[in-house]
Amino acid sequence: MLLLHENGPPLLRAENLEKRYKGARGRGSGESVTALGGVSLSICPQTTLALVGESGSGKSSLALCLACLEPLTSGCIWFGGRDIAALDEPHLRAVRPQIQLVFQDPASSLSPRLTATEIVSEPLLIQQRFGKQERCARARGLLERVGIPREKAGQTPDEFSGGQRQRLAIARALALEPKLLILDEALSALDCSMQAQIANLLLELQSSLGLTYLFITHDFPMAAHLADEIAVIDRGKIVEMDASRQIVRAPKHDVTRRLLAATPGSFATTPLLRVV
Amino acid sequence: MKPLGRFTKWLIVLGLLHGVVAGAGFFAPYGPGEQDREHPYVPPARIHIVDAQGRFHFRPFIYGRQWRDDSFEQFSEDKAKALPVRFFVSGARYHLLGVLPCRLHLFGTESGRIYLLGSDAYGRDQFSRILHGGQISLLAGLLGTGLTLLLGASIGTMAGYYGGWRDGLLMRLAELFAALPWLYLLLALRAFLPLAVSPVEAFLLVIVVIGTVGWARPARLVRGVVLSAKERDFVRAARGFGASGGYLLRRHIMPATSSVLLTQAAILVPQFVLAEMTLSFLGLGVPEPVPSWGNLLATLEQYSVLVSYWWMYLPALAIVPFFLGYLGLASALQEGAEAYKMEERRAGSLR
Amino acid sequence: MRYFLRRLMQASFLLLGASILTFLFSALAPGNYLDEMRMNPQISADTVTSLRAQYQLDRPSPIRYLRWVSSTVHGELGFSFAYNSPVAPLLWVRAWNTLLLTLTATLLAWVIALPLGFWGATAVGRWPDRALSGTVAALLVLPDLLLALSLMILAVRSGWFPAGGLVSVGFEALSPLHKLRDIVLHMTMPVAALVLSSLPILVTHVRAAVTEVLGAPYLRAAAGNGIPRRRILVRYVLRAAANPLISLFGFSVGALLSGSLLVEVVMGWPGLGPLLLEAILARDLFVVIGGVLLSTVFLVGGNFLADVLLYWADPRIRIGRT
Repeated sequence: MLLLHENGPPLLRAENLEKRYKGARGRGSGESVTALGGVSLSICPQTTLALVGESGSGKSSLALCLACLEPLTSGCIWFGGRDIAALDEPHLRAVRPQIQLVFQDPASSLSPRLTATEIVSEPLLIQQRFGKQERCARARGLLERVGIPREKAGQTPDEFSGGQRQRLAIARALALEPKLLILDEALSALDCSMQAQIANLLLELQSSLGLTYLFITHDFPMAAHLADEIAVIDRGKIVEMDASRQIVRAPKHDVTRRLLAATPGSFATTPLLRVV
Repeated sequence: MKPLGRFTKWLIVLGLLHGVVAGAGFFAPYGPGEQDREHPYVPPARIHIVDAQGRFHFRPFIYGRQWRDDSFEQFSEDKAKALPVRFFVSGARYHLLGVLPCRLHLFGTESGRIYLLGSDAYGRDQFSRILHGGQISLLAGLLGTGLTLLLGASIGTMAGYYGGWRDGLLMRLAELFAALPWLYLLLALRAFLPLAVSPVEAFLLVIVVIGTVGWARPARLVRGVVLSAKERDFVRAARGFGASGGYLLRRHIMPATSSVLLTQAAILVPQFVLAEMTLSFLGLGVPEPVPSWGNLLATLEQYSVLVSYWWMYLPALAIVPFFLGYLGLASALQEGAEAYKMEERRAGSLR
Repeated sequence: MRYFLRRLMQASFLLLGASILTFLFSALAPGNYLDEMRMNPQISADTVTSLRAQYQLDRPSPIRYLRWVSSTVHGELGFSFAYNSPVAPLLWVRAWNTLLLTLTATLLAWVIALPLGFWGATAVGRWPDRALSGTVAALLVLPDLLLALSLMILAVRSGWFPAGGLVSVGFEALSPLHKLRDIVLHMTMPVAALVLSSLPILVTHVRAAVTEVLGAPYLRAAAGNGIPRRRILVRYVLRAAANPLISLFGFSVGALLSGSLLVEVVMGWPGLGPLLLEAILARDLFVVIGGVLLSTVFLVGGNFLADVLLYWADPRIRIGRT
């Protein structure tokens, strides 16, 4: 299901993505798990698309596949006029900076041995941009941008709180100036007040940097508050996709209705700063 | 941190022990090859500070030796000749750490010889030979461990990182090597290489043989670490930045293997020293006249030596303090690894 | 049944791989080997030439390997140059002696280790456990070479036990009871050496396995139901701890085999060990290969035995879940 938008062609368009994992038991059983069974979606530039679904519905697989961190079984991903799913690694390297992923658990996505500055400047190091001084300066700038105090720049992740770690992860994801940021359950591991703070940060960054978000979550109210469009995913397929206001007011699919009814909606009651 | 304290303590102990062996030229009164055919199988010298007349001396001394009239080839003390033991004497020339020429020895006697732990069939001082032999045995153990860990780490990393058929093949190979009884494998491998070689060649051969036999277990452990490290999100994130495989291995995955490799090293070094001792004892390792703890014990295979000359057994005890040290180090490392894992888990659950 | 077949296939592949590997090692220096054989005065030039032809010793390795395999299938396992006979009969005699020694030592070690480990686990923190830990640590630090030599010296100096050999001179003339006594006397020191060297590891593992089981809640439930302590220990704890211990049993048989080589050589027990050593020094190629393979068979057999026991003891394996 594709939606045309006034802002022009979509930033990213996924066509019939399929992802099968080989059987978990290894050689013997031959059983395979279908994580994605023909997913198609598009994201318009400088908007937020939320992907809502329960655990096991294929959200994380989709995130990894769109970020080209897992190979697709079949399908195309159109980005910047090319099918990036078909690119080999050397060509992909040039595209990677434009799509970045923020993981759910900052404790495992941040290397415990590196300091905050090193973590944030690592992407620049890998892409071999700028000299050492410049990288440090940019890293410090990013840390400030996400609200991490300067004294903490030389500390390792274990000395940060959960919310600060997630800010660190976001700062790192911004280092290469991406166009699209995929947030895979990025707020789910935080407590309520922290969630609100980080969500505010994300919205603020989106408007000032012109970012596009793919926001993956199982929390419907959160999605409704943050996103322009919502896609509901169930068992590897998109069952409904519409503007967020539409979906919340009049859900068409059973799964959507179930998800809407399930969550207590605590997020909905927390005041949010929404910059239009 | 408590585990770190234990680790440092054992490291210091081992460092001292290794230091004494490394400085064998200084600590030993004689070179390993200095013979004295006039005095075969002399029992260990008795150090006295009170002489036959009951007088007390500050400087310890030993008595000279003379043949006993009543039995053949046995010695008794010649109370008429008192040889004072001097410290920091100038003796035979040696090379400290193989580089600096030196003549200073910790102790010695002006005339005659002091056999602290007795002498062997050629009148060579056992104490000196044990110290010098330690250099060979320990070096063989350390180098052999290095080789095994290098092999094991490379193979384990390849298997864990690339997966697929490479992983399957390498792990089947590891299973095979682990299934063979290692001592038999060691001997078989040694058997097919030329027997009569120079000491240097023999030494290198021993290292190669020992190193090639034991790679299976480290490889499996490293593979496990690499597999779990590969799936960590920060490795995925680095890939998302366009990192090459080489970068990932270098910066993220190999450091994760360091603790496993260190623990394995502490476990393997004494085992490999023992393997060298076994090979040399059986006559398949370092040959005479170069001493090693193993071939020093080879004379015990003769019944007569076993019965009459008990001090020839002492080289067997030389390895015990090292075993103790490495065992302590290994258990301190393992405790440290457990503590680190628990810290990681706790840190990960902080919200 | 399928479980057995799979394990059997694995074991066979392992043996096949081992034989290939050993042959591969022998291919490392074929030229030198033949030359050394020719220089050996014990082997006549004719023997060398005929053996060369018969076993195609100067042909490439794969052909030599196949020739050797066919010889094995015929029950010969190749030819010994030093003894001038097929390898197999030489091996069997020695193998029996080694098995006698190793199996006795294994059983004895386990008979001692089980109660000791059990005792240590049930008396954690109190003095019996401390004493046990101390002794275990002390034994662990002593390498088996040291133990074997020490026991030898003890035997020789005290004169209580014979120093070497399987039987004394004049064995044939003894009565059956005295024959048994003679063998036992000869076996005591080697068995003692093997038992002492393997005890620390066994005791540690038994203690660890039992300690882990002792923490289980269902045991407390059983005690709460009024079941007497001894019954709990035997019927519940032992059964639950059996799983890792059975695997360890299979492994210990194999480990003892590696250890027995040295003990046999040092203490003069006529097993596979001294034969292998002689063959190495005499450059008797096929005996070496045969010896290595036989010991691998024992090791793999030990593990297979452990699998069989595990199958019998653990019902979860029978159902197909581990």
